[in-house]
Amino acid sequence: MKKRLISSFLALALAAGLLAGCGGSGESSEQGASSGRDTDSVVIAMGPTSEPEAGFDPAYGWGAGEHVHEPLIQSTLTVTNTDLTIGYDLATEYSVSEDGLTWTVKIRDDVSFTDGEPLTAEDVAFTYNTVKEASSVNDFTMLDHAEAADDTMVLFHMSRPFSIWPYTMAIVGIVPEHAYDSETYGANPIGSGRYMLKQWDRGQQVILEANPDYYGEAPKMQQVTILFMEEDAAFLAAQAGEVDVAYTSATYSDQEVNGYSLASYASVDNRGFNLPAVEETTDEEGRTVGNDLTADVLVRRAINIGVDRQEMIDNVLNGYGSPAYSVCDQLPWYNEASQVEYDPQGAADLLDQAGWVMGDDGVREKGGQKAELHLLYSTGDSVRQALTADFADQMEELGISCTTEGVGWDTAYDRALSQPLLWGWGAHTPMELYNIYHTIEGTGSAQYSPYGNAAVDSYMDQALASSDLESSYELWQKAQWDGTTGVTQEGDIPWVWLVNIDHLYWVRDGLTVAEQKIHPHGHGWSLVNNVDQWTWSEDPAGE
Amino acid sequence: MTERHWNRRAGTLLFLVLAILVLAGITAAGIFLEEEAAVTDFSRTNLAPGAEFWFGTDWMGRDMFARTIAGLSLSIRIGLLTAAVSAAAALVLGTMAATLGRRADSAISWCIDLVMGIPHILLVMLISIACGRGFAGVVAGVSLSHWPSLARVIRGEVLQLKNAPYILVEEKLGVSKLQVACRHMLPHLFPQFLTGLILLFPHAILHEASVTFLGFGLSSEQPAIGVILSESMQYLTTGRWWLALFPGLSLVLVVVLFALLGERARYLLDPASAHE
Repeated sequence: MKKRLISSFLALALAAGLLAGCGGSGESSEQGASSGRDTDSVVIAMGPTSEPEAGFDPAYGWGAGEHVHEPLIQSTLTVTNTDLTIGYDLATEYSVSEDGLTWTVKIRDDVSFTDGEPLTAEDVAFTYNTVKEASSVNDFTMLDHAEAADDTMVLFHMSRPFSIWPYTMAIVGIVPEHAYDSETYGANPIGSGRYMLKQWDRGQQVILEANPDYYGEAPKMQQVTILFMEEDAAFLAAQAGEVDVAYTSATYSDQEVNGYSLASYASVDNRGFNLPAVEETTDEEGRTVGNDLTADVLVRRAINIGVDRQEMIDNVLNGYGSPAYSVCDQLPWYNEASQVEYDPQGAADLLDQAGWVMGDDGVREKGGQKAELHLLYSTGDSVRQALTADFADQMEELGISCTTEGVGWDTAYDRALSQPLLWGWGAHTPMELYNIYHTIEGTGSAQYSPYGNAAVDSYMDQALASSDLESSYELWQKAQWDGTTGVTQEGDIPWVWLVNIDHLYWVRDGLTVAEQKIHPHGHGWSLVNNVDQWTWSEDPAGE
Repeated sequence: MTERHWNRRAGTLLFLVLAILVLAGITAAGIFLEEEAAVTDFSRTNLAPGAEFWFGTDWMGRDMFARTIAGLSLSIRIGLLTAAVSAAAALVLGTMAATLGRRADSAISWCIDLVMGIPHILLVMLISIACGRGFAGVVAGVSLSHWPSLARVIRGEVLQLKNAPYILVEEKLGVSKLQVACRHMLPHLFPQFLTGLILLFPHAILHEASVTFLGFGLSSEQPAIGVILSESMQYLTTGRWWLALFPGLSLVLVVVLFALLGERARYLLDPASAHE
């Protein structure tokens, strides 16, 4: 007994010591950080998934892939402007042949890699031929091969017309042919971009240093340190004053951090459910495909107007989000016909019209079958879980009984063929529309959720075959809704889009983060696309 | 002296009955509250513990008291199932090792060493993943990893019994093996077995919770204690202590209760202490 008393006393003492220790260290580091700060460096906390696993090699996903952003270390041929139209980086002009099969790009002649060697069209051609062979994250099947016509002119020979090639050119960082080894390049990248990799401690941090010979405007931030930490650690790091910018989420948005303000950046980082648009069957691989409830277009339309997106934003995102009506809201190829008003009565009428009548238990029925949905979300993502729960609550009000289940990505893709899954998309290229709505050759059905519409396919094929990028936007819009058919409310509505999630960051007072273009899916590197233009005010507040 | 003996025994019995009642009560209440535990209501999110919600609510407005009780109930039921499966496997394998000759013995002992040689939590995780996670995965994982220690005890016990004079005498008298096993061996084994079975519960429950906490067990929509605790991690830094404290504490209490139950049961059943 005596022993036990002593040990519990010791445990208490230890706990008290720990608490005191935490408080103390927090205070001291806050002082240290604010007094000794350089005005030309910045420390940013990002999530652990932002760390590029394969390093800074464009062939293995750096800048490209699921989460697109500017590669910083390398230059790209084009860039996306703040309004998501195309601007120039290395390129000075580009053109495409009438048949869409040859792209001619002229590049600057005053650019060198950081090892002193000049960047020529040979390097560009080498880069594209390499990523075509090696890229595990991007589809380069439309490119046949690239060739350098002379030192400043590159020809891209395509295997099929691909009008949105400039968007692809905006994410491929150019690597030096003379210093590229796919084994080592990821960890020791040499580029011609605004920054050079100074240090990379795997699992901890990346330090970038400004490229002194950069051909464009000299970066104002000389040193950029990226720390990779979990969300709660990032929050604590901001509280302790150890970072200048820390990513955060709606969970923390009601908190206050001394000396920081919460910055919110609009995104097309959308969340939406796929609604399998065919009747339930089993495919040759034994997978269940299709869903008897959502196979009815009237049900899908009812769901689309029966969901109160603003309520979801207020409930789940603490207000930090915007309603989503498509996979590409506010981008140049977005069709405003996608937008719908919340109309619960209209939704109920549509369900009645479809033959799903309200039962005594508040669940609709048709021919003895209950209106039931089993909603899936990726397990471990609290925002998706809450969105799914809120969606389920709203569907119950419409008379559709819902159950929810958290699933891993190992099984989610197959299960989404028959059950609605909460997805996250949003990229700076119209290709995303193609990936979601266009049918795959052979199956006649789209990749992620069973759906097919020949008219929609045809518009997207035409858009890709177009020889003029600007005019192809209209075709992408027509693929969404052309006045008679499409993927919007009056069309087939095979996906219901719910919200675009604002990307939230704690930003230290005194730091001006340059204007952001609408963020794509992925809460990380997009923020630092223009870190070279960030500035500290002369007399930062709070000192 | 006699009176004190009686009191101690009665006290133990009383404790046993009470503990079983409490655990049964939690299990039943949890089944009853399972629906309530899944109800989300975004008008009452992140409430601190109070009169209406004893354990507070989480970020989706779910009642943490209902979730905790439902989670404990789920844990206890999984514990019962896995402990029963484990114990049955242990009984069968332990007896087989002791009675079926040297080759069977070495094969089974090798299996025991193999399973015991792999860290428990790792084994549970691997089996759970292989069985597709979820309820089936956890039950398979926990029950397939918890039998060896009890099997070893039973094997030793049976080996010892086989050479006990009264068993040898029975055999000499021509009583069939089955009868010997049923009439003399099983009653002798029973206390060991029952204690082992009860002591498996806390292990099973804790392992279920930890493997779920790590994300390899029950699915996140289920009100399992492991799920609750792993979700709460995200909110601790924002000061929502109630999300982890009450569920964690109740898990510890249930596990302690089971452990005490096993200890007391052993005290009652073990011939060495039963007559104290």
